[in-house]
Amino acid sequence: MKKIKAVMVGQPNVGKSSIINAISNARLHVGNFAGVTVEKKEVEVRKGEYEIDIVDLPGIYSLHAYTPEEQVTKRYLLEESYDVIINVVDANVLQRNLVFTLQLLDMRKKTILVVNMVDEVEEKGGHIDANKLSELLDIPVILTSAKEKRGVEEILDQVIHIYHQPKCGCKIYYNEKIEEEIERLAKILLKSPHFSDYDQARFYVIRLLEKDEDIYRIVHDLPIFLELHEALGEAIRRLQLEFDVEDVRDLFAEERHALAKSIVMQVMRLPQKESLTDKIDKILIHPVFGLPIFLFFMWGLFQLTFEIGSLPVDYLDQTITNFANWLKGILPPGDFNSVITDGVIPAVGAVIMFLPNILILFLGINLLEQTGYMARAAFLLDGFLKKFGLQGKAFIPLVSGFGCTVPAYMAARTLKNPKDRLITMLILGFMNCSARLPVYVLLISAFFATHSAGNVLFAIYIGGAILGLFVAKILRMVLFKGEPEPFVMEMPPYRFPSLKALAMELWIKSKLFIKKAGTFIAGAAMIIWFLSSYPHHPKLEQNYQQRIEQVQDAKIKEQLQNELAAKKLELSYLGQFGKMIEPVFAPLGFDWRLSVATISGLAAKEVVVSTLATLYAVGAGNEHSSTLVQKLREYVDFKTAVALIVIIMIYSPCVAAMSTFYAEVPQWAWRTFYTIYPNVLAWLMAFSVYHVLALLGF
Amino acid sequence: MNITDLKIGEKATITKVKASEPIKGRLYAMGITKGNTIRLLDHTLKKQTWEVDVEGTRVALRDEEARAVEVER
Repeated sequence: MKKIKAVMVGQPNVGKSSIINAISNARLHVGNFAGVTVEKKEVEVRKGEYEIDIVDLPGIYSLHAYTPEEQVTKRYLLEESYDVIINVVDANVLQRNLVFTLQLLDMRKKTILVVNMVDEVEEKGGHIDANKLSELLDIPVILTSAKEKRGVEEILDQVIHIYHQPKCGCKIYYNEKIEEEIERLAKILLKSPHFSDYDQARFYVIRLLEKDEDIYRIVHDLPIFLELHEALGEAIRRLQLEFDVEDVRDLFAEERHALAKSIVMQVMRLPQKESLTDKIDKILIHPVFGLPIFLFFMWGLFQLTFEIGSLPVDYLDQTITNFANWLKGILPPGDFNSVITDGVIPAVGAVIMFLPNILILFLGINLLEQTGYMARAAFLLDGFLKKFGLQGKAFIPLVSGFGCTVPAYMAARTLKNPKDRLITMLILGFMNCSARLPVYVLLISAFFATHSAGNVLFAIYIGGAILGLFVAKILRMVLFKGEPEPFVMEMPPYRFPSLKALAMELWIKSKLFIKKAGTFIAGAAMIIWFLSSYPHHPKLEQNYQQRIEQVQDAKIKEQLQNELAAKKLELSYLGQFGKMIEPVFAPLGFDWRLSVATISGLAAKEVVVSTLATLYAVGAGNEHSSTLVQKLREYVDFKTAVALIVIIMIYSPCVAAMSTFYAEVPQWAWRTFYTIYPNVLAWLMAFSVYHVLALLGF
Repeated sequence: MNITDLKIGEKATITKVKASEPIKGRLYAMGITKGNTIRLLDHTLKKQTWEVDVEGTRVALRDEEARAVEVER
């Protein structure tokens, strides 16, 4: 078995992932690139006597790397060892993509070109001559359509074929004058014992002429650096004079664009029909109707999440309760039985029950991304976000924040200016993450009428977003002064979403959610169950048991049992802790149970639900079992419930999110600020809301 | 003249990109380079954000960046 290592590289939106998905019999591994939080996809596939390992590198527009993802890709291309480069390009925008291909070919590694989405070009009456393109670039060219599975298997054949070639043909040359300078400089570089390969030296020289800092750093420590540096300066001066440019980078950019243009003219018959994207864009990013349409989409998404997502909840609830009761009968009575059936199953069940809501929300966000609407939303919102000291691209982490704060913090890396990034990250917590949804769903169904439930949820989400924007504005005015980062963004064409990719994403998301619910949350729930069940008070229990046996009336019996449960909880470790912190939350109308639930939300937001379930449902172990909702209505009044919603909206996100923030922001001052200010703000806001509602007579 | 002087739907040729790094590198990567054809597609109500088509790629720009791209009809 021979091993071939290949890297798949291309500009964003060229459909690399769908090609990876379309390769049959491939084993997919998902992980992270070493040391950074950028997702790494890798597939292994067998073909004859070969085992081909393909690493899918993050999308990169140019070797002039800009975003952290691009840095990862560039570093991988420069530093790691691999046999073959698979360069994927989008047939629809072949010219722009070829500019990057030309940069890659400077490396003179074994490269194959995959022209993806060729079906879209042909549908519109276009045509691409693969043989001619292959001849001009002197590398293998494959026309593919991941959607139609066309050409995908041929990629592997070509990888094996080129693997056996001695080296890349790559006969792309720049203007004679430029090549002269390159050759002169490469000769200096080859004097160093570190360089023996002319192709590599040529590549480094080109990058140096383009003022590539990464390469500069590599050659900086070489003994020939002084000579090279001087010659480089002279070469740049000569080129600037010769071509009348201010910057040699412009020269290379123009050279590559001109080359790409002439190649496309020779190999491609351009599509004739006007694209559908033009027509759709006329409506969706209309100066007047664009924003209302966007808001309508968002509103629809949340209505759908709540209305459709709540349909299977009752069924799930019943199933989980039945399962717990069935298990209670089977397991021997005692502490272990109680741990499982009273502690773990209700806690995990409470979270799983909300899976339908969360799935619909994720589906909606994925749909926005895959169809290309996400970029339009950023376009529409940039002017607006600029006013709050943010920029249109911040919209993407902000929207991801509605899914989960952890990836949202990571998505904020696309903002290159550290100030823009920090402000965005500091307010991301106000975008309500999906883990908070169960808490809202519970409180809304307990304290609001069903017909207004969707509207209340919408108000919570919009309210959090608006608060975040105001905080951003204040942060920008008080802490940072300076212009926000520039805004240059590709608007990908509208595409029908691929069902397979949607299903794949949803599968990964729900697996992660259930994993989290199954391990971390259940662990937290068990700790809370332990803290709320121990220490035991045999005397108190005996006392109550006697009184329960003495009375005849079933109602009084139940009341006594509930009293006992309440007493036991009050005396437990958790009760003691809750009482200790009660004074802090007392002005918000919280009793110790709500205080404990709020604190437990720092472990993970959905734990608030399981904590409340444990704290209020303990006394309900008899046949008149009342649900958590009824318990809440019994113990909590309306204004307190609203204050709790406000607290959940604003205070610190879960420990996983907080750790991510710490990992992304190294300064202790910002970490401290980030840890303290949301909690102070949350308390103040909840206090105001509580007292305003009290004044209004609630 | 620059992009912001074009009418919606109007085509022009790029003559110069006045931006400094890193904006220039990003504009180049999107295909906004001297010699390429650019077409103004749309702008937002208050002309804060502009959408152009460069050789088949649609790009969104802010006012500041759009003014940095000089064109010729």
